[in-house]
Amino acid sequence: MATVQVSEAEKVYILHGIRDDLRVDGRGCEDYRHMEIETDVVSNTDGSAKVSLGHTAVLVGIKAEIGKPRPMVPNEGYLEFFVDCSANATPEFEGRGGEELGTELSNTLYKVFNNKQSLDLRALCISAGEHCWVLYVDVLLLQCDGNLYDAISIAIKAALFNTKIPRVHISSDEEGGKEIELSDDPYDCMRLQVESVPCIVTLCKVGHRHVVDATLQEKACSVASLIISVTHKGTVTCTRKVGGGSLDPESIFEMIEAGKRVGKALHAPLMKLLQQEESLGKKRQKVGFLG
Amino acid sequence: MPTDTKRVRGPEVSQSPSLVTSKPAAALPSSGPRADGRQRDQVDVRPVFVRCGLVSQAKGSAYIEAGNTKLMSCVYGPRETERKDETDMKCGRLTTDMRFAPFSCPERGSWIQGSQDRDFSLMLYESLQPAVCLHKYPRSQIEVSVMVLENGGSVLAHAVTCASLALADAGIEMYDLVLGCSVRQDGASYVVDPTYAEESGGSCGGSSEDAGGVTVAFLPSLNQISGLQSDGEMAGETLTAGVRTCIEGCYKLYPVIQQALLKAVRKAAPPPSES
Amino acid sequence: MASHHPATVGQTHVANQNIMAAGFKTAEPLEYHRSFLKENCRPDGRELFEFRTTTLNIGSISTADGSALVKMGNTTVICGIKAELTNPTVEAPGKGYIVPNVDLPPLCSSRFRPGPPGEQAQAASQFIADVIESSEVIKTEDLCIDRGKLCWVLYCDIMCLDYDGNLLDACVIALLAALKNAQLPEVTVNKETSSPEVNFEKRHSLRLHKHPVAASFCVFDDSILIVDPTAEEESLSTARLTVVTDEEDRLCSVHKPGGTSLSGEKLQECINRAAARQREIQKLTDKVVHSVKAAQ
Repeated sequence: MATVQVSEAEKVYILHGIRDDLRVDGRGCEDYRHMEIETDVVSNTDGSAKVSLGHTAVLVGIKAEIGKPRPMVPNEGYLEFFVDCSANATPEFEGRGGEELGTELSNTLYKVFNNKQSLDLRALCISAGEHCWVLYVDVLLLQCDGNLYDAISIAIKAALFNTKIPRVHISSDEEGGKEIELSDDPYDCMRLQVESVPCIVTLCKVGHRHVVDATLQEKACSVASLIISVTHKGTVTCTRKVGGGSLDPESIFEMIEAGKRVGKALHAPLMKLLQQEESLGKKRQKVGFLG
Repeated sequence: MPTDTKRVRGPEVSQSPSLVTSKPAAALPSSGPRADGRQRDQVDVRPVFVRCGLVSQAKGSAYIEAGNTKLMSCVYGPRETERKDETDMKCGRLTTDMRFAPFSCPERGSWIQGSQDRDFSLMLYESLQPAVCLHKYPRSQIEVSVMVLENGGSVLAHAVTCASLALADAGIEMYDLVLGCSVRQDGASYVVDPTYAEESGGSCGGSSEDAGGVTVAFLPSLNQISGLQSDGEMAGETLTAGVRTCIEGCYKLYPVIQQALLKAVRKAAPPPSES
Repeated sequence: MASHHPATVGQTHVANQNIMAAGFKTAEPLEYHRSFLKENCRPDGRELFEFRTTTLNIGSISTADGSALVKMGNTTVICGIKAELTNPTVEAPGKGYIVPNVDLPPLCSSRFRPGPPGEQAQAASQFIADVIESSEVIKTEDLCIDRGKLCWVLYCDIMCLDYDGNLLDACVIALLAALKNAQLPEVTVNKETSSPEVNFEKRHSLRLHKHPVAASFCVFDDSILIVDPTAEEESLSTARLTVVTDEEDRLCSVHKPGGTSLSGEKLQECINRAAARQREIQKLTDKVVHSVKAAQ
């Protein structure tokens, strides 16, 4: 991942600040940076969202395609994740440099959604065992300034909220064969229940405390972080330790508590924001990428 | 799909006979004793069989068997690092490679390493790295590879234990051994060191809120967690309890692993005879 | 190995000799080996035509339909067989498939790198495929279930776990033992729905028509023949040769990838040794297969 070099003196400065709950940019330990969300930014997808968090920027596009359900779960659709670490974000990703990080991120996303509650996959089923919707979730990293996981998960939630899947009707012809008909009306579409889609909170252990939404400088002072994905109810769908250090069990328990608290508080304002933007409808002023 | 010219190819598609019957996997009961006679809700790990130094070509190696789970790990190095562009040459580099033999799972796997294998390799790396004194091996790399011969559940946890044992057998300086343990939560009850059936059957069994798996990598004498991984959906308290249970499981494993290591060391350097 | 505790004069002398030998071995490996071959023996104490101790363990992998683990000295090879259902080709509607692959993962020796199979692994896979075809150990016709519609494909995945020379011999033993161990469920095709039905309760073994066994040789200094080479002997030798024979002493395959030439007389010597080896290994395999059957 993109890293910065931090001198010893800077490290001490950052560490002491965090000890006193005052970070370099004036935030407290559990505060996020300024966040901007815009949905429906890419017209040729079924749902999209762009999220910027400090200088980190990610774009998520969702495409719905008709596929065959997995043999083990014939009455459910499924999600496919792909994370593209473009060389735009940092020169380190040039060539195949971003591949490793991309698979790491997408593998974690599969785990985050590997449960019954996150998204009602049965709603994606068209006809059991034969056809279902497959949602291809493509994540594009535009800029890296720390805390990729959180930004990606929020962008995915926003994009899923924005996703419009055309309605389909199954009609059977005389010989009993089934045919799928797509609705002609572009406004006749299905929306997803995104209430319980989890958000990821990354907690970075710096000194004896942990901080939320670490910048690259803060990340350089930390040896290990914990990724926790939290639903609006406060349940945890995925945790993972990342980084080269180890953690005390007690501090892991504290971090899980903090992650739950922060993650739970994230959902309500996010949903409100999304609904507000949606209600503006056509009047909404589009900002786009350069805004 | 690009054709693989480096292997003997078979038909383009084939199906496992167990899929033809397409019987949905029967959900395992979430109460009563487990299929292998172990107890629920107790730190009842499978007895493990461990051996060090089985592979003649490797610097260090270990084999572990717990129930049907069989895997081996080899360590090569330290040798000169391949990557010269690395900015930080003061520290050694650890590489991990975890693979599943094609016949190790109920469904035949491919020879080509999938993203799941890479994910396992990464988690193995993150669990082992904190325990290895990499600063003692500047400009060199230490290679750890793990081969899963049979997947009988809790593969990652046992891979961590096996790999750390192989590292110790290779004489690589470490702060502590790393032990792994898994717990599977299934509603109100949990099973420690789940088998393959328990791992895959539980998740599709119920719609209960607490269903998921936790794997912990633990440094027992330093009381540090070097790896933590969970999926499924669990309440925070359940997760915390799961982590505690895993730590307890690791402590149960500790004397067995120590014994195996001691035996390997004795064999390599027999104590001076009294004559 | 130098000892740090007080030792008698005799012991110190032996210890010094050991250090000398170890140094000689690393500095002049070829000369080191020659000095042994001159005395008609080898550094590990074997005679020129003596194989390493071979042990066999079958059926230890329960996720495979058949499996075997072979150890020849340090060399360890495991073979797992998975049977799957597929459609036969249009050209051969009455035949199934056997797909053997040999893998040399980086785990088994520092000489192999991760990634796609290297030259040696590819050559070994092809060699095993050729042995299966030329020896007719299994008739692909036996793998047909419903002509033109359904047949078995046997994936024989062979993996080396410890590479100390003579990979091919170990692979053939592992393959044969795993095939003997394999139990396939009964499959019938439902006449009405024409869909396959699998009966896991009823399993049967494969019909093996032949029992091929490989014996590998190395040529030292263009003239001295040794059998069952270790990894070091392989790398120092000037030519390699593998002979595969079956129980009726018929040659299934003679594989000599380049190297120095070999007289017909020497080749005959090799074939005779291979025939003797075939009997030893078939006896060992049958014994292990029977003991496993008896235990069940």
